[in-house]
Amino acid sequence: MTKRFRTLIAGFAGVVLVATACTSSGGPSASQSPTASDKPQQGGKIIEGDTSDIATMNPILVNDTRSRRIVQLIYDDLIQADPKTGEAKSRLATFSISQDGLTYSYEINAKANWTDGKPIIAQDWLTGLMTVGKSQLTVRKSSFKDIQGFLDYCVGSSTSGCKGTAKSISGVKIDSANPKKFSVTMSKVTCSAIIDLNGYILPTQVFGKYVTDTSKDEIDTAPENVKPTVFSGPFKFEEWRKGDQVIMSKNADYWQGAPNVDQYIFKVVANATAIANGLKTGELTFSILVQPKDLADLQTVNTLQITKYPSLGYRFIGWNTTSPQAPGLADKRVRQALSYGLDMDSIIKSVVFGEALAHVAHHVPVQWAYPDIQLEPYKFDQAKAKQLLKDAGWNAGSDGFLAKDGKKFTLTISTSSDDQQNITTAQVAAEQYKQLGIDAKAVPEAFQGLVTKLTSGDPVLDATIIGWSLGTEPDPYQIWHSSQIPDRAKGTTGFGFTFFKDPEMDKAIEQARNPANADCSVATRKKNYETFNKILNDQQPYNFGYVPNIIATSQKTLQGFAPASFATVYNVYQWWIKP
Amino acid sequence: MRDFIIRRLIYAIPTLIGISIITFAIARLAPGDPIRLFTFGIRDFTEADYQQLLHRYGLDKPMPLQYIDWITNAVRGNFGESLIYHRESFTMLLERVPNTLVLAGAALLLQLIIGVPLGVVAAFKRGTWVDGAIRVFGVAGHAVPPFWLGLILIIVFAVQLRWLPSLGMLTVGHDQWDILDRLKHLILPAFVLALTGIANYSRILRTETLDVLAQDFVRTAYAKGLRERTVVFTHALRNALIPVVTALGGVLAGLVSGALVIEQVFSWPGVGQFTFQAAIAKDYPIVQAGVMFTSTLLVISYLLRDLTYAVVDPRIKAG
Repeated sequence: MTKRFRTLIAGFAGVVLVATACTSSGGPSASQSPTASDKPQQGGKIIEGDTSDIATMNPILVNDTRSRRIVQLIYDDLIQADPKTGEAKSRLATFSISQDGLTYSYEINAKANWTDGKPIIAQDWLTGLMTVGKSQLTVRKSSFKDIQGFLDYCVGSSTSGCKGTAKSISGVKIDSANPKKFSVTMSKVTCSAIIDLNGYILPTQVFGKYVTDTSKDEIDTAPENVKPTVFSGPFKFEEWRKGDQVIMSKNADYWQGAPNVDQYIFKVVANATAIANGLKTGELTFSILVQPKDLADLQTVNTLQITKYPSLGYRFIGWNTTSPQAPGLADKRVRQALSYGLDMDSIIKSVVFGEALAHVAHHVPVQWAYPDIQLEPYKFDQAKAKQLLKDAGWNAGSDGFLAKDGKKFTLTISTSSDDQQNITTAQVAAEQYKQLGIDAKAVPEAFQGLVTKLTSGDPVLDATIIGWSLGTEPDPYQIWHSSQIPDRAKGTTGFGFTFFKDPEMDKAIEQARNPANADCSVATRKKNYETFNKILNDQQPYNFGYVPNIIATSQKTLQGFAPASFATVYNVYQWWIKP
Repeated sequence: MRDFIIRRLIYAIPTLIGISIITFAIARLAPGDPIRLFTFGIRDFTEADYQQLLHRYGLDKPMPLQYIDWITNAVRGNFGESLIYHRESFTMLLERVPNTLVLAGAALLLQLIIGVPLGVVAAFKRGTWVDGAIRVFGVAGHAVPPFWLGLILIIVFAVQLRWLPSLGMLTVGHDQWDILDRLKHLILPAFVLALTGIANYSRILRTETLDVLAQDFVRTAYAKGLRERTVVFTHALRNALIPVVTALGGVLAGLVSGALVIEQVFSWPGVGQFTFQAAIAKDYPIVQAGVMFTSTLLVISYLLRDLTYAVVDPRIKAG
């Protein structure tokens, strides 16, 4: 290599080194720093970054969080969850519940109108319900099955309970004197109804044509699902550039007050790294999808502000208590040992950089259903774990691994191959369980296949690391009631893939869901959930892992942004951009 | 020539049918159930809901029947309703084709305007440090993983220097016809996508140019007293460019199908990214539409390449 060539390479390398070493302020220049004004300013745009495009803008067809975000912005809800506690509060309508717990009455705010000037009325809520009844793609029918007459109205498969014989839903009554007032009567007391009956308020002037007597399932492919025209929320849909962004402009006639910003743009980016980069460069205004691995870097950027709060969900290791390969999992003492034997604090520190809280029951601390009683924290105690295993009859064999009745204790921990946090947790767990004498290994596999195996109750799985995202309604029926355990012989599926069942737990769930005495008060339901969580805490069908934090990161210029566990954009009309 | 074209088009049909069967089989036989996937964790999702959706999407039919339903609709342009978006999948794919064509076209242009001159210069400066540098670049261009290079360039030019944007096709909120803004967004992804081709062309052109320069007709041109510029551009380069020109169609098709990684890194809403995300979500109709689209594009491009060979190089007769 000639001298001139070496000089050229060295010079180029020097330029790159200087360029990369230049630490920018990470944001706009000093002349663009926010002023000290506290009065909301008009104008500007909010750009939210997410890693996936939306699928639809019809709320009855929404199955993903991205589509839900857009729907929340363009259509208002009857009620909203308190962002910090999850308690149901009035939004578009005030509500009351009859003494017998069967009838819910609503009155929509007199100021609430659609963007075409028509008032939002009870019929619009009914139109939303009827579209659910007609749709063959919605997965929401079950939420309304206890409304009197809904099953007579809805159209579906024979096993769904839908008969399709009625032209209206008898349990819904609209006040003839006041079109904004209506009531819904249930066939039985269902405590989740307060959340479920929020329903979907769709403009009858647009969607009414899909719920006529002769309509079939045209609602499923309605053009308004991807290009809505009339809105009730703080923003109006303008344009959907597929795979790129959804552009919304402010609804100047929004009943709670016109938003301060001109536009809300939902921007699709490839991954969490792109989100972090977009926040640093100012291309994104905020995102709630920042990963713990990017937190330290973002904290050095002086134009960003970070709000952390517990998410509404948890990541766990689910034990297959009927696993033929790991029969030890059927014993409570073994499962408890697996909780004591795993240093969850060190996993939280190393895998999610401390951005989580160790968890030991189903409901998460931010939920009102989380028990006030002291639960066993399962702090890391290897000696205790070993003793429990010994008590359960597992003793070290000649190879150093535990064995019982001639069978070695083997454990395969499966997890999704595209979730690095879960993979690392599985690997750490396998190593720590080896120290207890368990021949454990971590096996990542495609999420698609894992989900099918879990919900069908495939016996090949011993243990699975996965997560739940819980909703506002704390009813755990779908996950923990014994009726939700998959049955391979009958070909039924479900989320009860630990095969754990407990009659007392079932009773507690049922009482909190459909109480015999019609008492759906928070206090009474909480008592039932106390029993429920105590059983789970004791029995440990999961190692309940941890509750990750949400790391909501935004530009400092974004004011009024106050996300919490239960809601992010509840007050978006009050956000503003400091110039 | 006409018989050649007809014959090639006829041969293409079983090829495409074979590709459709393999794609269909792989997509359906891969572990996982798309309905379970997008309904996982939904409260109150019942077995009845599952059966309802299975029937609605036609997934409760035997596999061969599902294929026949699909292929008979596909030949009429209907590749099936997306399981996620509930819209016809080929229409959705076509909405993203212009984005990928822009990226691939820009990459091809960069390959030609950078790669070709580099190769010619390397040939003329054979044995010097210039030739050495270009040859090292040729190897490095192949060795460097595009996704890694893309991330490094984003860190340097977008995050640190703030010279270029880090994602997308257009600054959010800007007018769709803001050409300058679009060009700024195009620079990094197009360069990364073009890099392997630039390295390729520099090596091919170096070899071809050296080969042509050694030919008798070039020696004769010099002997006749023609200027170097005339010898190079009128005689030598035209012959050296034959493999480049004839491969253009295939290269463009290859860039379209190979832009997936770049689209992911730069959040470019193209066909590759769309098909990839559909594959993860097991949205069969989109996956099948995406694969059939790129396969058809490649088959047509190889036909065009062979035809162009016959037209450009009189030594080769098509068929």
